[in-house]
Amino acid sequence: MIRTAVTLEVHKSRRLRVGVLCLVMVASVVALAGMNLFSDATRAGFSDPAAQPWEALLLNQVLMTAMTAPILVAVLAGRQVDIEHQGRGWTLARVAGFGPGTLCRAKAVVLGVVLTLTTGAQSVLLLGAGLAAGITVAPPLALWGRYTFCLVLVNLALLCLHLWLAARVEHQLVGLGVGLLGAFYAVFSLLMPVWAAYLLPWGYYAAISPLAMSGDHLVRSGPVPWLLALFLGAAATLFLLACRRLDRSEGGPA
Amino acid sequence: MSHVITTEGLTKTYGSRTVVDSLDLRVPEGCVYGFLGPNGSGKSTTMKMLLSLVRPSRGAISVFGRPMDRRTRHELSPMIGSLIESPPGYGHLTGWENMAIVRRMLGLSERQVRRAIATVRLGDHMDQRVRAYSLGMKQRLGIAMALAREPRLLVLDEPTNGLDPSGIEEIRELLLSLADEGVTVMVSSHLLDEVDRMASVLGILGRGRLVFQGTREALFDRSVPDLVVDTPEPRRALELGIPAVRVRGGVRVSGTTDDGTAELVRRLVHHDVPVHGVRRVRRSLEEVFMDLTGREGLS
Repeated sequence: MIRTAVTLEVHKSRRLRVGVLCLVMVASVVALAGMNLFSDATRAGFSDPAAQPWEALLLNQVLMTAMTAPILVAVLAGRQVDIEHQGRGWTLARVAGFGPGTLCRAKAVVLGVVLTLTTGAQSVLLLGAGLAAGITVAPPLALWGRYTFCLVLVNLALLCLHLWLAARVEHQLVGLGVGLLGAFYAVFSLLMPVWAAYLLPWGYYAAISPLAMSGDHLVRSGPVPWLLALFLGAAATLFLLACRRLDRSEGGPA
Repeated sequence: MSHVITTEGLTKTYGSRTVVDSLDLRVPEGCVYGFLGPNGSGKSTTMKMLLSLVRPSRGAISVFGRPMDRRTRHELSPMIGSLIESPPGYGHLTGWENMAIVRRMLGLSERQVRRAIATVRLGDHMDQRVRAYSLGMKQRLGIAMALAREPRLLVLDEPTNGLDPSGIEEIRELLLSLADEGVTVMVSSHLLDEVDRMASVLGILGRGRLVFQGTREALFDRSVPDLVVDTPEPRRALELGIPAVRVRGGVRVSGTTDDGTAELVRRLVHHDVPVHGVRRVRRSLEEVFMDLTGREGLS
C-alpha cells in the first residue's frame, strides 16, 4: 500500500514546482556560501593549509543552510500537504483505503528523497565551486561527508515534523511561520552556547556543525552523538505514532 | 424487496451531543433513495458511518447483506462509489491527471476511467486544470471518480450543492439513468424539491432521528390534508379565532380531523359566516417535510 501511495505522491507533486524550489535554494546557498571565494584576501590562502580555505567554505555552508533549510523544509511540506486540504484528498484517499497517516508517510518518502538529493547537490556544488575557484589544498572530504550526512538526517526529522504540522493545521502560513522562526533559532544557535542548540529541533542545524571557532582558528567539532541519535529516534518514532493515530482518526487530519 | 443498506439503531454521539440517533435505514436495491433533512440534521455523519469513515457509537450497519466495519470495508468498498461533502479534485492537476490518480489508487483500468468520464459528459474539459472548473464540472468530476470503479451502490452527499438549475437537472438525469442501469443511489440533500423529483424512496432526518422512511405517496398519506373553507367573508371567520390563514376566496386550516371539520363548520354557521363550500386540499411535500422536521427550515 505504501508503494502505491508513494507513486501517487510523485504524480501529485507535478506542477508543485518542488524541483524549482530546491534548485533556487541550492543556488542561493552555493552563491551565498561561496561569495568569499572571490575576495582577494581569501584567494591568497587557497594554497595555504593554515588559512583553512575549505573549512571557511564549509562553515559558510553551515551558516547558510541553517538560514535556509528550515524554510525550504516548511515550504515543501506545506505545498505537498496543502493539496490534500484544498482538493479534499484526505477523504478521496480514505474511501480508497489510504488513511491520512499513510499519505503523510508517502509524502515523507517522496520529499525525503528530494531533500536528500538537494542536500547532496548543495555539498557537491560547493566543493566544485571551491575547486573551480582554485583552492589547491586537499578538501576535508570526510568532514564534509559527515556534515552532509547529518544534515540529511536533520532535514528528514524536520520534514516529519512539518508534514505532521501541515496535516494538522489547514492554514499553511502557520507551518511557514514556524519554519521562519526555526531558521532564526538555527542561526542564533550557532552563536549561542552549544547546549542551547539541543533544546529545539531547529537547533540541530547548528549542533551538527563540523567546525567551531577557537580563537582565530576553526577547530573540528561535531554533535554529541547520543543526543543526535536521541533526537532522530524520537522524531522518527513520534512521526510514525502520529501517522498511526491519523490513520485511526475519523475524517481528515486537521 | 431486498435492501442494499440496512442499519439497526445506528447512533453517533460526540461527548454528550447525539448527532445521529437510533437510525433504522432500509435502502432498497436499484432505487434512488433521497436522504433529506435540514442542515445539521446528521445526514453527512450518517453517510460517513455507512462508508465506515466514522465509527458509530452504537448500532449496526449492513451493506449488501454483510456487516460494514473497518475490517470488512476493504472487501465492500470496491462495490461502493461515494462523494462526501464537497467534490474532490487536485486543482493544480488536469481532469485526466486527477482521474489517473484515482485509477492508480483503486487499481482500475483505462476503460473504466473513460467510461466514467463519458457518463458524466466531461470529456471535452479533461485537459483543463481542475482549478479552472466551474462548480458543476467539479461535481461531475467527483461523480466520475465515484463511478470509475463501476459501483453497485453510489452514496452522494449533496451532489447538487451550489449548482445552477441546469446543473441540477443534469445531475438528476444522470442519477436516474444510473438507477435504470441497476445502480442503487443514495443521495442526500437539504433541498426537498431536488430529491423529490428523482427519488422513489425518501428518508427524512430531523434532529438526528429518522422521522419518515418510505415512498412519496406514503409520505402524503401520513399527512392530514388541509381544509379550505370557501367564504366571501374570510375576515369574519378569522375573527372567530379559527387557526387558519386567509387564502383567495376563503380560509385554509391545517391539520383538521373530520370531527374538527364538523365543529368548524358548525361554528361558522352559528356566527352567520356564509359557507359556500368546504374541501380538502393536498398539502405540498414541502409543508409535510417542514412539519416532520420540526419546522427547522430547509436551508
